[in-house]
Amino acid sequence: MNEKNKFKGNVLSKLKLLVLFSSISLTLFAQNRTVTGTVISAEDNEKLLGVTVVVKGGTTGTVTNLDGKYSITIPNNDAVLVFSMVGMTNQEIKPGNSSVLNVTLTSKFQTINEVVVTGYSTQKKADLTGAVTVVDINDMKNVNNSNAMQSLQGKVAGMIVTGDGSPSGAGTTVRLRGIGTFNNNDPLYIVDGVPTKEGINLLNPNDIESIQVLKDASSATIYGSRAANGVIIITTKKAKDGALQITANARNTYSFYSSKLSVLDTQGYGRAFWQAKVNDGLDPNQNSIKYQFDWSKDTNGNAVLNKIILPDYLDAAQTLKTANTDWFDAVSQVGASQNYNITLANGSEKGHSLVSVDYIKNDGIIKTTNFERFTTRVNNDYKLINNKLFIGENLSLSRSSQIDNNVLDPALQALPIIPIHTVDGIGWGGPVGGMNDRQNPVRLLEDNKQNNTINMRVFGNIFADLEIIKNLHLKTNFGLDYISTNSRNMQLTYQSGYLSNTTNSVTNYQGSSSNWVWSNTLSYQINKNKHAFDALIGTEMVYHGDESFYATRQNFELQDPNYMYLSAGTGAAGNGGLASENTLLSNFGKVNYVYDEKYLASATVRYDGCSRFGKNNQFATFPAFSVGWRMNQESFIKDNVSTISDLKLRLGWGQTGNQEISNNGIYTLYSTNYTGGDPTWRSLDGTAYSLSGAKSGTLPSGYQKTQSGNPDLKWETTTQTNVGLDFGFFDQSLYGSVDYFIKDTKDILVLPPYIAVVGEGGSQWVNGASMKNTGVEMMLGYRGKIGNDLKFDVTGNVATYRNKVTSVPASVINNYGGDGNKDNILGHSITERYGYVADGLFTTQDQVDNSAVQNGKGLGRIRYKDLNGDGTIDTKDQTWIMNQVPDFTYGLNINLKYKGFDLTVFFQGVSNVDVENVVKYSTDFWSVRENNSNKGTRLLNAWSPSNPTSTIPALTSSDANAEGRFSTYYVENGAYCKLRNLQLGYTIPKSITKKFYVSNLHLYVSGQNLLTIKSKSFSGIDPESPSYGYPIPTMLTAGLNVSF
Amino acid sequence: MKKIIYILALTTLFSCSDFLDVAPKGVLSEAQVSDASVVDNTVNAAYASLGNDHYDTPFSLWPYGDVRSGDAYKGGRDEGDIQDFYFLETFKNVRTDMGELDGLWFKLYVGISRANSSLRVLNSLNEADFPLKKVRQAEVRFLRAHFYFQLKILFKYIPFIDENVAIADYATVSNRALTNNELWEKIAEDFKFGVDNLPEIQSEIGRANKAAATAYLAKTKLYQAYEQDEMNNVTSVNTNKLQQVIDLINTIPATYGLQSDFADIFTPGASENGKESLFAVQFSDKGDGTMFGRLNFGDVLATPMGIGCCDFHKPSKNLANAFKTDANGLPLFDTYDATPINPAADKVDPRLNHTIAIPGHPWKYDPTTIYQESWNRTPDVYGVYASLKENVCKTCYTQVGPFYGNTKNRIILRYADVLLWKAEALIEIGGAANLESARQIINSIRTRAKNSTARLKMSDGSYESNFNIGTYDDPAIWNQNFARKALRWERRLELAMEGTRFFDLVRWGIADTYMNAYFASEKSKIAYLKNGLFTKNRDEYCPIPDNQIRFSKGVYIQNAGY
Repeated sequence: MNEKNKFKGNVLSKLKLLVLFSSISLTLFAQNRTVTGTVISAEDNEKLLGVTVVVKGGTTGTVTNLDGKYSITIPNNDAVLVFSMVGMTNQEIKPGNSSVLNVTLTSKFQTINEVVVTGYSTQKKADLTGAVTVVDINDMKNVNNSNAMQSLQGKVAGMIVTGDGSPSGAGTTVRLRGIGTFNNNDPLYIVDGVPTKEGINLLNPNDIESIQVLKDASSATIYGSRAANGVIIITTKKAKDGALQITANARNTYSFYSSKLSVLDTQGYGRAFWQAKVNDGLDPNQNSIKYQFDWSKDTNGNAVLNKIILPDYLDAAQTLKTANTDWFDAVSQVGASQNYNITLANGSEKGHSLVSVDYIKNDGIIKTTNFERFTTRVNNDYKLINNKLFIGENLSLSRSSQIDNNVLDPALQALPIIPIHTVDGIGWGGPVGGMNDRQNPVRLLEDNKQNNTINMRVFGNIFADLEIIKNLHLKTNFGLDYISTNSRNMQLTYQSGYLSNTTNSVTNYQGSSSNWVWSNTLSYQINKNKHAFDALIGTEMVYHGDESFYATRQNFELQDPNYMYLSAGTGAAGNGGLASENTLLSNFGKVNYVYDEKYLASATVRYDGCSRFGKNNQFATFPAFSVGWRMNQESFIKDNVSTISDLKLRLGWGQTGNQEISNNGIYTLYSTNYTGGDPTWRSLDGTAYSLSGAKSGTLPSGYQKTQSGNPDLKWETTTQTNVGLDFGFFDQSLYGSVDYFIKDTKDILVLPPYIAVVGEGGSQWVNGASMKNTGVEMMLGYRGKIGNDLKFDVTGNVATYRNKVTSVPASVINNYGGDGNKDNILGHSITERYGYVADGLFTTQDQVDNSAVQNGKGLGRIRYKDLNGDGTIDTKDQTWIMNQVPDFTYGLNINLKYKGFDLTVFFQGVSNVDVENVVKYSTDFWSVRENNSNKGTRLLNAWSPSNPTSTIPALTSSDANAEGRFSTYYVENGAYCKLRNLQLGYTIPKSITKKFYVSNLHLYVSGQNLLTIKSKSFSGIDPESPSYGYPIPTMLTAGLNVSF
Repeated sequence: MKKIIYILALTTLFSCSDFLDVAPKGVLSEAQVSDASVVDNTVNAAYASLGNDHYDTPFSLWPYGDVRSGDAYKGGRDEGDIQDFYFLETFKNVRTDMGELDGLWFKLYVGISRANSSLRVLNSLNEADFPLKKVRQAEVRFLRAHFYFQLKILFKYIPFIDENVAIADYATVSNRALTNNELWEKIAEDFKFGVDNLPEIQSEIGRANKAAATAYLAKTKLYQAYEQDEMNNVTSVNTNKLQQVIDLINTIPATYGLQSDFADIFTPGASENGKESLFAVQFSDKGDGTMFGRLNFGDVLATPMGIGCCDFHKPSKNLANAFKTDANGLPLFDTYDATPINPAADKVDPRLNHTIAIPGHPWKYDPTTIYQESWNRTPDVYGVYASLKENVCKTCYTQVGPFYGNTKNRIILRYADVLLWKAEALIEIGGAANLESARQIINSIRTRAKNSTARLKMSDGSYESNFNIGTYDDPAIWNQNFARKALRWERRLELAMEGTRFFDLVRWGIADTYMNAYFASEKSKIAYLKNGLFTKNRDEYCPIPDNQIRFSKGVYIQNAGY
């Protein structure tokens, strides 16, 4: 049977159940005789917990216990018992005079009766008029991801999840229905009624009971000014009625590189260096990188490298032995991860209690990187005052520690001739002479391995729901989300070639983010004849505050983590701190109406105020309307086309907002900047100056303008229209939905770069741009049986969208590419980029001589297209060369079950999308990015007169042709299809496990990212991560799920 | 039921709109910084801009003044290490979208915007409430003019915006709203205000005083005197302006003069802010309450590898050769570059050893620390010399990350420089008396150099090199042409590596011939210079950054040749 339904539950459905129980107690006295029995599932003969058994037409009822047993009193032999359970076909049986009645329920694949959390309330899925996707939690539970959202990649049509392979999963981003704004595109998460925008990786995925994705305005508008990017509602697990249940999960995962960048070794590096110099007519032996070259010219005048001569040692002191280091190997390891989870749940009609603990430790495939998280959760609820009052809490505490060092770029740039260590095996290898000044990547990892970041989070809510009169509920909910982040960063001394640091230091950082939300709602429900009506009004206050400070100190006598605390330092000290706040105040209301289970209508309005906006525009109203038509309920279908089990047309329109900008955009601000910041890599902008010339002591200081205020700032408003069709055939064994949407965003908040003469603080938020997203999303599922034992469930989804900028304020129209004149971002996708068209290489002198004027052109150099035909290659020869909106995205999930075995196969992919293959700047050029740094092996195949068919430009020691300019040379097709998950599991038969008091024991092995299919034209490593992001590994997992 | 709705309504009321009044934290409003009581702080911030440069946007202008003049090579790891400076060095592939140019343009305008902000507050006060009003106005205008001066010599045509322009209108001010000459006039006005309103002595040495404004006004007039056409050709020399240069410099009080030992000018400590320094950027160390110290980060890359990182700003072979002297201690005007200098044998001007670190010689006047060839990062590409003037003794650095900064002041107006402007004006006006005065000035500078050998000794007490420097004593050859040649040579030696040389060449109108001759000879010694080619009527100035032209929506006009 459908696992989801077994665990499905939420406050309201439970409420109904409990209301039912309360009525039972009143009628117990009218007893006649008792019927008992066991209810099992037809699918797997499992005993069913929580099947409702009622006497038809009466008020008597009960539910089955953990062993599927029930006991019910019937008034007479004519009584009919109704057995029902979400997801199963109801059975009505007359027990007659028998006292034992065993029942088998069959699954009706009926998801349309599910109850869905839609924001401050719940609704039957059948009655939904908006675009809401309910995620199958079962699919994600055994996958090794620290961040629950990573597991949703490819599962929801219209939801694009991107991430890297870092152990913490902190870099995961979620985009719903394209890119709606120039700013923050993250959706809003509502966890047990508490809104949050951050840190989903601190939530234990095992605690999640359900995830609902609200994509369109008619469903999301209830969240008003924060809903424009979509809303993801997460509900955590609650205990079920019945006996104590214990479940435990454990898994172990190993992760490996999917593929590694191939970089030059010591000989290859020398060859590339030599070729670059020779090509430029320079003497390769004039160098300070310790290479000498034995070379000559052949009879054709071509340079020939006979031999590379290397010294035994790189330094005069003979501490650095010439090496052939593979830095990628040196920084990599087989990643290992463990996850353990135990949940205890106990419930009765008077209350429920659930406690869970979860531990995950994830060591990444880059040495010393890791993520460790401990979470515990306590969810309780109680019924009081004759079940009129329902109160409860959900509380989660988590602590995580992470080290997310990414040294992929340093590992690429480090020279292979440099040894990891000095000859004593202790000191660090490093550059000498004219070698690049890049750090030894192994040292970077080692010296930072103690520098972790620790997050502590308290997340929870407490609620009370009072039924004032029948069906009128007053609910209050107070939620709290507190994240504390702290770190102690030790900077150690080192000597690594000519690079050194002689001053050690410690910096402690402490930051906190406090959020609270208090919402009050009043809801009422009436069902009369064919009319079903429910309404809700509410108010909400939201507070968000951040505060942080740091302290730093230099000079510690010992470099011991146990010693290096601030007070032990003897050198210079510094500190700093910041704070910010914002608040929201809202009123909202919602009305749903259903007539005859056929005609659905819904209206929502939210009136939102936010501290981020000026007095004139502080409040805004967000309305939404939607209607639905359940055509399958019409007699012309119901009576004629029995194959149609569900057919619903939905139409919705609504507005949502976005307020994700800095807290103080309305103000013109000045600040003191006494220190001016850390000058190491960025320009100073301090306000203090030694006017006296004393060189020390407190300096006179002043102010710098940091921002220009805009008191007229207001929300971005997104107006979205959605048309959807839900369908199901053959008793829902073939089912799916199609949605089409148009999403218009106006008044997009932009922070335009500004002309330099304005000086500091010229940045000013303005409401300016508009853009339009249109798209189609489709989901299709098919499930059934082949023979008696092979069950299958296949679901696929595909989505596409197009993005177009429809207006941009004149002041910023040239900030998104374009020629600064008529050709600008208008009419293009915001993801499009402007650049040159690389038109192959110059391969003959004739081509060089007879082409447009191009600074630095020559044999083997990239030829750029003279797009405007003026005979000169300059900035006017650019066009739109890159569109980062994929043709479509898709996911395909296949579940097979055969007796005790289960198999899951999940593919996810992206079709035809332009990516900038950033690595190409280093694999195809010697001098575009960091001359003399190590490069990719592709360079060895560069163009030369003796290698005339190569498309890789000739090596050169300086980028006179400016080939680093953004051009089509770097734009490649980033399409891919990945086998995200392949899992094989086996459930040990009950007959065996029962002896050990185990009700269910499931063992599995799985692999993630086992296979990647990518475009032929993509020359990088992983089109999903074309830059230097943390590599996405291949993972192998073994685990078990057990319940008692 | 009614009660409930009432409660609900109440919660809405209770949470009334003051819940939404959230004040920004840790920052100040426009009103708070516009108060008379804090106006001095706005002046401080304008001064602070002087030290807010960075190694890729150095206000010492070493890549622009020295590297483009044949006095210095870019240095560093190789051509690709800050590659745009390499393109500037060879004048090849100087693009309008170079980030370094855009960054420098912006940083200089930040200085100007701080000055304008301060002036807006200062102008609103009355003198009764703030007696220092005029003085502070004059200081801030001095700073503003200084930043404009730097922009002017780099970019020629720049938008000039003072405190009276509304910020909303900034983008409408074209870089061609004023002519070349009018721009000089605007800069001169600010300095003139300083001359009229600044006190002779300021209680704090870092503040501009009357002498500084006078000297800078003279410098402005000197540049203005060489009139240029649209194509950067020097079309005439305005002798009226030159006379103003002389007259202005004559009013600088005798409290200013040449410091007796050349070494003192470039050594941190007691001799800083001496009588030769009319205005300098004041740097400070960690003891100033900042974490890293307000160090000279503009010149931080010049530290050689034997001390730290990263060996940029390397004196050229051509420059070293220029210090050779003949038997009379006079420059080898025509033959200096024919053979490489032999520091052990050749007769040299002592300023060689003050300016250029040569292997085997003491580093920065410390005979116990010998500068080695191994201190060089890429000797095969950039030779074995290092620049001394912006550097300090080996133990005088503060390490920040991989970089080694120091707190030695950066002199903006040096009395020797001022004297040479006067000499230049005298020579260009001509006439026997003027030429004679110029000769005396040049000789006074050479005499000081001659007397500056006390600290140029090895540990055994012997002189580092064979010093032989004389004065111009033969009146017979001292005609205008020779005097001009001697003056220009003297400026090169005296001010070498101080970031001014290229701007001198452009002022004199000889940048093209000079640089192309340099490339022709130096390329035999330094391989990559074979790419060097100065294009007349373009390379005299940097291009207006592309970004700025776009932001101005075409209000800015690109410079000639780009």
